[in-house]
Amino acid sequence: MIVASMLRFFAKGWIETLYINPGFYFKYYGFNWVSNWGNYTYWLFAICGISALSFALGLFYRISAVVLFLSFTYIELLDKTNYLNHYYFVSLVLFLMIFLPAHSNLALDNIRKPATQKRQVPLWTTASIRLLLGIVYVYAGLAKLNSDWLLEAMPLKLWLPAKNDLPLLGNLLNKTWVAYFFSWFGAAYDLSIPWLLFYKRTRIPAYLTVIAFHIATAILFPIGMFPYVMILSTLIFFPSAGIDAFWIKIKAILPSIPLAKHYNVYHYHPLAKRLTGIVFILFFTIQALLPWRYLCYKGTLFWTEEGYRFSWRVMLMEKMGYAQFVVKEEGSDRRVGINNNEFLSPNQEKMMSTQADFILQYAHFLAGHYKSMGWKNPKVHATIHVSVNGRRSVLYIDPNRDLAQEKDNFTHKDWITPFNDIIYGL
Amino acid sequence: MLRKILLYASLSTVFLLSLYACNKGKKKTDDTAALDRKPMLSHYADQYVLPGYDALIRDLNTLNTQAAAFTSTPNNSSLIALKNAWETAYLTWQTVDMLEFGATEEISLRSYMNTYPATESKIEANITAGNYNLETFGNKDAQGFPAVDYLINALDASGTIARFTTAANAAAYKTYLSDVIRKMQEKAITVKNNWVSGRNTFVDATGTDAAGGLSKMTNAVVLYYERYLRSGKVGYPVGAMTGVALPGHVEAYYSPELSKRLAIKALESFIAFYEGKNYDGTASTNGMKQYLSSIGTKDSDGTLMATVLSTSLTNGLTALQNLNGTLKDGVNTNRVAVLSVYDKLQLSVALLKVDMVSAFGISITYLDNDGD
Repeated sequence: MIVASMLRFFAKGWIETLYINPGFYFKYYGFNWVSNWGNYTYWLFAICGISALSFALGLFYRISAVVLFLSFTYIELLDKTNYLNHYYFVSLVLFLMIFLPAHSNLALDNIRKPATQKRQVPLWTTASIRLLLGIVYVYAGLAKLNSDWLLEAMPLKLWLPAKNDLPLLGNLLNKTWVAYFFSWFGAAYDLSIPWLLFYKRTRIPAYLTVIAFHIATAILFPIGMFPYVMILSTLIFFPSAGIDAFWIKIKAILPSIPLAKHYNVYHYHPLAKRLTGIVFILFFTIQALLPWRYLCYKGTLFWTEEGYRFSWRVMLMEKMGYAQFVVKEEGSDRRVGINNNEFLSPNQEKMMSTQADFILQYAHFLAGHYKSMGWKNPKVHATIHVSVNGRRSVLYIDPNRDLAQEKDNFTHKDWITPFNDIIYGL
Repeated sequence: MLRKILLYASLSTVFLLSLYACNKGKKKTDDTAALDRKPMLSHYADQYVLPGYDALIRDLNTLNTQAAAFTSTPNNSSLIALKNAWETAYLTWQTVDMLEFGATEEISLRSYMNTYPATESKIEANITAGNYNLETFGNKDAQGFPAVDYLINALDASGTIARFTTAANAAAYKTYLSDVIRKMQEKAITVKNNWVSGRNTFVDATGTDAAGGLSKMTNAVVLYYERYLRSGKVGYPVGAMTGVALPGHVEAYYSPELSKRLAIKALESFIAFYEGKNYDGTASTNGMKQYLSSIGTKDSDGTLMATVLSTSLTNGLTALQNLNGTLKDGVNTNRVAVLSVYDKLQLSVALLKVDMVSAFGISITYLDNDGD
């Protein structure tokens, strides 16, 4: 899966456009040290792709898992413009997989060292992945419980008619009630699907729903690999007995495949088990708490986006902005209107126009740029108009504030204009 | 297990079928058909773009005829007729300037027709050399309406007539004038023909992705409004972002009394285009405004954003119409007033670029160029 993803990136030329061409990158707070490798960035992707392949084949499993997790996450840390919830999800799963014995059966490592071959793994190992999936779905569902989504059917009311040229059902997408139906169904789906997958009686219909739901989203929205990641990941909810029997039959035809035939269970070293336990408990505690951190911030989450990322808030907003920066020199008439295109890629500009932390980093970059050109204490002002979920665009930040003076940290940014409406809900 | 799958599959089939049936039954009673993009794209192709280019070609033909008449008998009356024909064609150009999408974009018509300011030295060098290629990038500012403006309006009437009669290189001036006009005709005709053959491709691209007709058209006209109308005609000459006036950058520099009329014509045309008017000015129901109304986004007081945008554009037009004097002088002597026109024009940019584009479910694909 990740191999395919890396190839897709390569094939579309995205490595170059996203990670090499821009002259400036939006770093995650605390990760300023992550930088691209110039033209060697291709090697970074190659490392990621190769480790993914050996990881999938079960060759040198632990090393592959660590390298894969690190390289994949490193790539994601290069520029937060490219943040997507499903990349984050993949990073998290890869992190867990480092600790899991996924190489104990049907892996090349079993040929290398037959003693590593086990037919069964402890239940908690697969349960941990199920739990993570459960967290993703439930939080995605909880995030949908807000007045824009449920009462206004926003943003689906805008997005669905944009697809009304689909054959057969296209015309339906123009209808307001269809947007409401999709909104409510989506929320109910996210909130209930982990439980339905968990219970044996409902598992099969639930999984069919998973397939139908994610294929529908793949058709309607440009969300890349995400639907397929979820469709494959949720297979973990199925018990292994069926697939085990299937492989046993295959082995009868192809005796050379490294498949365990005898019942034996993978055992962790007691110390390893304890360490893994501590790591997992910490991991899941953080995962359970992180999406709630927005409660610590003043202001409306959808407007400020303080505490929005890493919280499984997917497809919740139609947000668009238009940002114009002016740099002025202190104590002189010198001033310049910024052509954003000179410094940012179109995608970076799009992301920057609606998110305060991007705006601030960019403003600091501009101040630094003009300082290096000999300007004295450059002041950076921005006039930014933003629209959320079909509301009229209004000023997003205080245009009189000198952004060069503002610090970037995790406290509330008081130069963001207060939201002029109310969105109820979680 | 199997029974459950079958039950589930049949239930969902029944559900989908009932949705479909329900949809068919209700078709007549609501007006969501206004959200169909194909009629909108057909409207623009058939009722605006094609008749628009017909009008441009017609007026360029007249310009060519008058230029030929003037060069064969250069005198006061043939010069006045030529100037009038040029002015008429330039005003007509303003009605189609925004259409830089589809076939027009491929030819990049605007760059041949209206790259300004014209560079005098280049034009003179071409005339002296007598061999030049108007296709090259380097000659974009030595042709089109601005070059004709220089040739026929830079000097007073007697000076101009002398240039085409008694001057040492009078014959070369005549040739250049006619070559420039013929290049404009050639480009306009190519664009028109390509539109005729590409019309169905444009109309059938009903998707909202970057390749869809709506996205291409919206991106083109919003780009036009921001960069060529707001900035090119007003913002850049007045130095809205830099504080430095550049009167040499007004459109129709050698005919200062025309600059503002061109800008007004351009904005009137933009509003008509947005409001879905046919090229002849009659109303239709298939424009961007109607489409935006059907999507139904509203201001906080309940006004449709489609109406808010109309009002905002009209405010800009009124401000422009009320501006006294010429733009060329105004950018220096009447700065406050010209800057306030710019601000009024600017107010619509956010509405176009954020509110309308976001409601359309498309994205801005063109690169920004705000550095004016």
